[in-house]
Amino acid sequence: MPSMPVGLSRDLPPKRVMRASVGGQDIVVWRASNGDIAAWDNRCPHRGMALSHGFVRGNALACLYHGWHYEQSGRCSYIPAHPDLDPPATIHTTRFGVTERDGVIWVDTSGTAKPGMLTESLDALRSLIAEASETAVVAACLRTPFEGTMPRPSDSSLYALGTIRLALLMNPLGPSRTQVTVLTSTGLSLQTRHALSRWCETLRRNAEASGTGDA
Amino acid sequence: MSLLYASNDWYPVADAACLARGPRKTRLLGTDLEVLGPFDDPVVTDMGGRRFPVQVRYDHLWTTIGDDPRPLFDIPEADEPGRRHVPCGVVRVKCSPLRAVENFLDIAHFPFVHTGILGAEPHTEVATYKAEIREDADEVWATNISFYQPQAAKSAAGGITTRYEYRVPAPTAAVLYKTCPPRPKAMDVIAIFVQPRSETDCDVWPWMALYDDTTGFADLAQFQQEIFLQDRSILENQRPVKLPLDPKLEIPTRADLTSIAYRRWLKRRGAYYGALTDQT
Repeated sequence: MPSMPVGLSRDLPPKRVMRASVGGQDIVVWRASNGDIAAWDNRCPHRGMALSHGFVRGNALACLYHGWHYEQSGRCSYIPAHPDLDPPATIHTTRFGVTERDGVIWVDTSGTAKPGMLTESLDALRSLIAEASETAVVAACLRTPFEGTMPRPSDSSLYALGTIRLALLMNPLGPSRTQVTVLTSTGLSLQTRHALSRWCETLRRNAEASGTGDA
Repeated sequence: MSLLYASNDWYPVADAACLARGPRKTRLLGTDLEVLGPFDDPVVTDMGGRRFPVQVRYDHLWTTIGDDPRPLFDIPEADEPGRRHVPCGVVRVKCSPLRAVENFLDIAHFPFVHTGILGAEPHTEVATYKAEIREDADEVWATNISFYQPQAAKSAAGGITTRYEYRVPAPTAAVLYKTCPPRPKAMDVIAIFVQPRSETDCDVWPWMALYDDTTGFADLAQFQQEIFLQDRSILENQRPVKLPLDPKLEIPTRADLTSIAYRRWLKRRGAYYGALTDQT
């Protein structure tokens, strides 16, 4: 599985926890108080609880069930039921590769995360989930006008909307479910960004209405 | 194999309150059932009209679909005078019936899941206690447990250190004996009777036998329901859904002695319905 975009950096401020999915793998992504990010199998090794329900204490992620703390390395650092115990190094989460670029979080379940290369500098706009295949989202993009102009394909994941450049980064979640991370040209006005965000909603509706579950 | 073993136990399928509202369509071990009142003379059938035996115990209606059922376990305290019996209704949980029981046997989660009620930080330490499989009764017991609780029961006026004992008389039932706030020498009885609808979904019937003459019935039942709704948010988010019996798959600590004994006991019995094993 190559590295996949799972969300926006700004949607994950320090002390926040989110759930992600790459190639069917359930993942927890969280950011410590010091800003460091980590991505793990979404499962506490103690009793299998989803760590995405957990909470950040300092620079550790704590499981909601029994409060076990895991440091960024994945190693268990504290077990509240035994406050004086130094947890054995064998207790640790399953870690995945994670990195950030252009405001996008990339996760790799099979090695070091490498962000997709963009040919130009772009700003993160938003992340959305469409109940449609990746193919259906691309097809819908090409027939969803923005302020009267039809998007034209440019590079692999790049489109031109008049003078605006737009990238759609795809993370397939299932045969007819896709996470789409949208980036745009830098320096756009807030008004234009709001309009583009509404365009994303139309894009999603069009993709979902096309009803093609082809993967 | 695991279904055959499970089918010879008795399970709750209704209480008086739910039967008063009309027939209950339900499911037990993957079999669709219909339960018809009245509560004192009920009929349990499958969709083909086959009738199953019934008995009324502990304010619930019990049935079995097996050909050679083991006797329903005894809770002697149910017959003690002065105890109020409180059937607390039913909570549907999408989890293995065995995970529901194991969660009931766990105290280390109180400060995090039942915050401010059954536990609170910084009182998180679980002191050494004893857990064992009692060979004579073939039951799991955990004794000598004590834990600080901000609101141990509806009848508790404030925080107290509560004493606990657990008993597992059947794979899908557990009985808790805990300090009774108004009567420090007596023990309240709180049980869960789990109705396995399938290996990954169950109806949980909490039941209590308390020395509490002052709190209203609805308040007592609601207190216990609230606790269970908090547990549900955990139980529906554990992976794998089935309970792993191989100790390598989920790492325990000393606080998990009861859980360790429970898993070992299930394995020994071959009570694998709802469990993750090599066979399944």
